[in-house]
Amino acid sequence: MSDKAIIFDIQRASLHDGPGIRTTVFLKGCPLECLWCHNPEAVATSRQLFFYYDKCTSCGDCAKVCEDEVHHLTDGIHTIDYDKCTFCGKCVEACNSSALKITGAEMTIDQVMAEVMADLDFYTNSGGGMTLSGGEPLLHFSFSMRLLQRCKEMGVNTCVETSGFASEVHFRKILPYVDTLLFDYKIAGSEEHKKYTGAPNEAILANLDIAYQSGVPVILRCPVIPGINDTVEHFGHIRDLDRKYPNLKGIEILPYHNTGNNKRTSIGTRETLAELGTTTPEVYLKWLVQLKELGCAKATIG
Amino acid sequence: MQKVDNFSMELNFTEAYRKNRDQHIAIREARCHQAQFPAILTEIQENDRLAGRTVWGWVGFSPHNAPGGAAYGYFCHDQKIIEAIERGNIPMDQRDGVHEMLHFWKKETSKAKVEAAFTEKMLPVLFRDEIVSLPYNFKPLIANPIYRMAGVFVDYEKLLRLGIPGMIFEITDYMNQSRASGGDYQLYEGMLIALDVFIDSCHHYEKQAIDKANATSDLKRKQELWKLAEVLKKNAVSKPETFYEALQLSWLYTLICGSLELGRVDVYLGDFYVHDIDNGIITEEEALSLMHSYWRLINELFRDVDGRVIIGGRGRRNEKNADRFALLVLETMRTYGRAILPQTTLRFYEGMNPELMEKSITLIGDGHTFPLLYNDDVLVPGVAQAHDVPVKDAEQYMPLGCGEIVIDHMGFGTPSGSLNVLKALDITLRDGIDHISGKRLGLPTGDLKDFKTFEEFFTAFKKQLAFYIEILADHEELEYVESGKQAPYLYLSMLYDDCIARGKAIFSGGIRYLGGSLESFGSVNAADSLTAIKKMVFDKKLISADRLVAALDNNFVGYEKEHKLLKECPKYGNDDNYADDIMVELHDFMCNHIRDQRDRTNLDWYLNVLINNKQNTILGRWVGASADGRKAGREMANANTPAGGNDRKGVTALINSLVKPSHNIHAGTVQNMRFGRDFFTSNRGRFEVLLDTYFKKGGAQAMITVINRGDLEKALVEPENHKDLFVRIGGFSSRYIDLPRDVQLEILSRVTY
Repeated sequence: MSDKAIIFDIQRASLHDGPGIRTTVFLKGCPLECLWCHNPEAVATSRQLFFYYDKCTSCGDCAKVCEDEVHHLTDGIHTIDYDKCTFCGKCVEACNSSALKITGAEMTIDQVMAEVMADLDFYTNSGGGMTLSGGEPLLHFSFSMRLLQRCKEMGVNTCVETSGFASEVHFRKILPYVDTLLFDYKIAGSEEHKKYTGAPNEAILANLDIAYQSGVPVILRCPVIPGINDTVEHFGHIRDLDRKYPNLKGIEILPYHNTGNNKRTSIGTRETLAELGTTTPEVYLKWLVQLKELGCAKATIG
Repeated sequence: MQKVDNFSMELNFTEAYRKNRDQHIAIREARCHQAQFPAILTEIQENDRLAGRTVWGWVGFSPHNAPGGAAYGYFCHDQKIIEAIERGNIPMDQRDGVHEMLHFWKKETSKAKVEAAFTEKMLPVLFRDEIVSLPYNFKPLIANPIYRMAGVFVDYEKLLRLGIPGMIFEITDYMNQSRASGGDYQLYEGMLIALDVFIDSCHHYEKQAIDKANATSDLKRKQELWKLAEVLKKNAVSKPETFYEALQLSWLYTLICGSLELGRVDVYLGDFYVHDIDNGIITEEEALSLMHSYWRLINELFRDVDGRVIIGGRGRRNEKNADRFALLVLETMRTYGRAILPQTTLRFYEGMNPELMEKSITLIGDGHTFPLLYNDDVLVPGVAQAHDVPVKDAEQYMPLGCGEIVIDHMGFGTPSGSLNVLKALDITLRDGIDHISGKRLGLPTGDLKDFKTFEEFFTAFKKQLAFYIEILADHEELEYVESGKQAPYLYLSMLYDDCIARGKAIFSGGIRYLGGSLESFGSVNAADSLTAIKKMVFDKKLISADRLVAALDNNFVGYEKEHKLLKECPKYGNDDNYADDIMVELHDFMCNHIRDQRDRTNLDWYLNVLINNKQNTILGRWVGASADGRKAGREMANANTPAGGNDRKGVTALINSLVKPSHNIHAGTVQNMRFGRDFFTSNRGRFEVLLDTYFKKGGAQAMITVINRGDLEKALVEPENHKDLFVRIGGFSSRYIDLPRDVQLEILSRVTY
């Protein structure tokens, strides 16, 4: 079993990924590639060079130390050949403006647990704990499994935030160590799902059913993207799931926000949905009303 | 028409002092009070339900309420008097007298007496003959004397129990015994004259209220003023029997005794309030109206760093009644609206009526910067140990002004000096020389490059700190000794244990505990700088000693690489032991060495306080670039809160760091936490749990401001539209737009959760 994984962030005092006060561990790597992804740096499994372009002074110090010809400065414009990067970190060290970093660091279970356990008192008092997120935690099945087991041994409440796109075997194995499952529900039709996320959704829906039948509390998390799934039809599908699974612990609407786009530029991938801004409260509160009118009483804004 | 600069009160006061110069100091002080009151008591204003306003003279006597920049005790504000002379509006017949008065006080003020007694060791280190009002401080000094007798918490319970006649009776009794046994009976004689002055002041306002009642045609107001006159008359001739009488008596005594603190109002007013409500003597509405007047007076007359109204906590003899009054205080805050004062302070403990905390959190969530929260479960045992007093006395702890902890009517502990810890580190890098002025300010302990290990360097830094700490402790003691020689502070001595019984004045052996405190600033930056020096110069050897000092001398210009490395070093506030351990070691050293000064002096305690007022910004102006990456002249971190923007791991990590430094070796810290408003509106439950966990983990105190960053940014651009934006600086709140720009930016830089 793997004792290490690439972690791209550990966020303490997290209030939005499950009950109480939590520590969210973000694993790097995801089998899907959703158009609206707000953590694009979590898609690739490997480490990545990350460029804060607004901090760059075009001094060229990075180009001087790079042995792989990743950095180029032409007429004061800094371009990056991301594919050539071997993550040696020399440019990061050389940059006095802190405009470069390597995103993702290999961590052991012990290292992650040390950080998780630091806030135990807060979990105990608030009903919080650790949330495993990503990326897709199930992509790192053995690491995730071990980490969840360790949490249970230490009396830490666990949440897993998943796309559901995982092998059924893995999915069934992990459920006994999960106190609350945060399960994404993106798009109803399989074709559409494939179009926007890169994968069909039959297996995902099957896993949702497995999770629900297992009795683990499930919170459905529904990203809503203007122009893609902000339709009465989609809201109807959400309502249908609510009827089919009356004991869902919650249904959270996650309104689209565009913070992912800056990060896309920083890791050298293309912007998506460039014309969409962050959803305003006026808009998403209207969605909420629509859902409630359709009979989906437990919907909230996540 | 230009205002006449009338100095008749000041001239009378000076004459009274001079005439009684060779008299007993109690008689002299009492005669001076006679010249001062009711002369400086100003008119009852349109909406006042309580009488008692002051405009202090430029010469006078007050422990703490002297005009800003005029020091304390017998004071004379040279600068203001010279300004009046320059304006040329002093009446002809006063001119010679004013010049002469100015000369007379030069050697005679309480501050001058302390300075004249400076030891050889103090002379080159502490500045003299200079009080510069905040926010101006033009000298890059490390140890700064402070002149005031701050933190007066008189025994209001006794005042209200006995009333003025009862006090006269008690003091007369002691005087007669003392006279019969050949004791210092004149101290009591002075007290009796001072009480006569108080009675005269009651009658002065009584008459004024009657005159105003006769002059108004508004029937409601007429009745209010008649009522007020009646209350004042009662105060002069008998002990208070109603809430109104108790409130008026306590307010006027606070003003006349020169205090700026209100103390445990719920204890001393609670019984009166409950009795009057339960017996239909007063309505809730009427009580609230009186409280609004009280609030307004505190707001208009007291300074932003003072005015502590304290509610809740352990050690209240009448807890149920006190709780009911405490709720009235919170209701007063809610209905009065956001205000800079009073600094309402909620003391709480496990098992206290939860309504007090719930209502307090609602107020904080609504953008009030109060109440300040004090955890008795940590602080009562902490004070018992730090101040070395029985738990019963520790239960009566009172945070004064910015947060220095003293003991209600038993123990004094004015902060009489401040220490710029980061500046002390500055000179430790450079053999004791201040590189800004080029002068020697500290001991010659060598240059950074001379130290072979980090431990040696840290030891040299501690040696420098010890040098200043000892001087400041000696100065605190000296201030009390000289103050005691010059005046008995009659209004304080009458209501501080055990002055009357011992027949001694407060600062001359009368008070039960005579303590002191040292305000230290810049500890967090100093700790983070030590961490960076340890890591970069000694452990990893990435920056040489010479190169580090050069980088600091050049404010990092041309040393960008070093600047980046230093900024990236571990910082306090992220639950990272590499940085937090050094903070704890510095904290322990400072607190313990300061606390040990009681063995060198006659002070019952002398303790570090890590409070904040504007000094973190003001003192920072004269500190060069520091090894934590802070640039020259920039603000230092507040109290023991992480430097702005350095707590990056979230509020739980911050809290874990905050609870590491010990709380039983100092006399008060301030923990600022700012939260965005949405935290309260959408996550109140989790916020309460967070706070509860902080306190259970050993958090002593919290000052919480609810604000969003956007509010502050908008206020910088459009100040006129953000006049209602109040922020907590630390020991006090202020209108954000009124603050100096660098203080505004410092607040903006603190992280909001």
